[in-house]
Amino acid sequence: MTTQTTSAEGFFNADRRWAWGSVLTGLALWEFASRVLVGSKLFLAAPTQVLYALYELVATGEIWKHVWTSAQEFVIGYVSACLLGVALGFAMASSRPAKAALQPWVAGLYATPTVALAPLFILWFGIGIFSKVVVVVALVVFPVTINTETGLLGVNKNLVETVRAFGATPRQIFFKVSLPAALPFIFAGLRLGIGRGLIGVVVAELFGARAGLGQLISQSAETFNMPDLFAGVTILAVAGIALTGGFQRLERTLIPWRD
Amino acid sequence: MGAASNKLNVAGLTKRFGPLEALSGVDVAVDRGEFISIVGPSGCGKTTFLRIVGGLETASAGVIELDGRGIVGPGSDRGFVFQSDNLLPWRDVVSNTEIGPELAGKLGPEQRARTLKLLELVGLKGFEHYYPRQLSGGMRQRVNLARALAVDPTLLLMDEPFSALDAQTREIMQTELSRIWEEGKKTVLFVTHQIDEAVYLSDRVFVFARRPGRVNEVIDIDLPRPRPLDIKRTPAFVAYVERIWKLIENDVRVSVLEEHEG
Repeated sequence: MTTQTTSAEGFFNADRRWAWGSVLTGLALWEFASRVLVGSKLFLAAPTQVLYALYELVATGEIWKHVWTSAQEFVIGYVSACLLGVALGFAMASSRPAKAALQPWVAGLYATPTVALAPLFILWFGIGIFSKVVVVVALVVFPVTINTETGLLGVNKNLVETVRAFGATPRQIFFKVSLPAALPFIFAGLRLGIGRGLIGVVVAELFGARAGLGQLISQSAETFNMPDLFAGVTILAVAGIALTGGFQRLERTLIPWRD
Repeated sequence: MGAASNKLNVAGLTKRFGPLEALSGVDVAVDRGEFISIVGPSGCGKTTFLRIVGGLETASAGVIELDGRGIVGPGSDRGFVFQSDNLLPWRDVVSNTEIGPELAGKLGPEQRARTLKLLELVGLKGFEHYYPRQLSGGMRQRVNLARALAVDPTLLLMDEPFSALDAQTREIMQTELSRIWEEGKKTVLFVTHQIDEAVYLSDRVFVFARRPGRVNEVIDIDLPRPRPLDIKRTPAFVAYVERIWKLIENDVRVSVLEEHEG
């Protein structure tokens, strides 16, 4: 009873209505533009055609090798980049020499359009998964590093002073104050990394891959198979929404003190 | 009574920040269980003095002894109550209160029982698992106080703890603090801007002067305890306030003008 009412309220609450209304209107306009204004599948596939292409990709089982390949590239790259980024951020926040040594690299590489180097990575590391993992790491690691460092440095000095007055050691200050205080920033960096990581996977695959959603997209583009192309894009969009949404849920669980 | 039996002995305490002499030759002695307030104009070094006793700053010169021993850094024999509550936002009331014992590795069922009793003492029964953002300013200051008491200090250091509260809440907190002090009889050093607050709470008031910061005069407050709030309207009370105000009036005027000029 309670779950039903909440989900019904959830659906009918004003924000949700606007969100769904806007998405459905967009899809309807798209369908109309594709079928009536353009009228050719070679240029623009209608949402219903994309849906059918998705159905076929799933029915033939062809989709799974693409999803599986991209998922591996994303997960391996993203997790390594997060671990590395958090570690680098810690180092930069806690040691002046580390900060001085790392700062120019982080600042320079963060602003570099790393995706443009993807062909180079493929040349170096081959057409397989590894080259894509490297691209993902290169894209994700810097926002995570910068946010971790910013979060750790932005800790309220009064809180540090307070635990110091109660006899905290530097180690206790770090684990009991700096780290929890920086968590919201670190999580914001990890969340930013999701989008950048997905882009990294796809762009790297565009430049050469045996399988993957990016490969599906580029292959479909070459053969003017618009429904398949949009099907690949749709899967990526849904993955982005799901991952970010799941992440926000995780943040609310782990950082309940934030309003 | 020799000097060694005092709770706190300070002689020739001097603190310099670069060329600025924040404290110059401060000599005071505090007895066990005394409630001492420190008043004075902005920039008289009263907070610096408290921080040195708390071990958060080091003295440039002079002797400062707590229970006959020199002070090296913070310690669990002192509990610090800060001006802003500085509660950790990710901890509820209980675990904020227990931060001192936790840092010392002394958590456990006995500590928890003591913590709950303390929270009852400061009037927070029923709020044990609230987070700071769910509490009013007055309640957060009660946690601030309970946190300092949780290390079971023999000396309580309070740095304008009620200055951010509205006038009514402040008066309530004064009576509560007075009641808590009478139950535990801990030695208290209480820094404040409010002269009436100092007179109401204290056994003695240290009046500081500025440029350089030093003790100008020590006033004994000879009023009966427990003190109801309406004692603030008695002639004896008002006379104390007047006398202290006269001592710092000139300094305050100068400091206000200086702040105005920037």
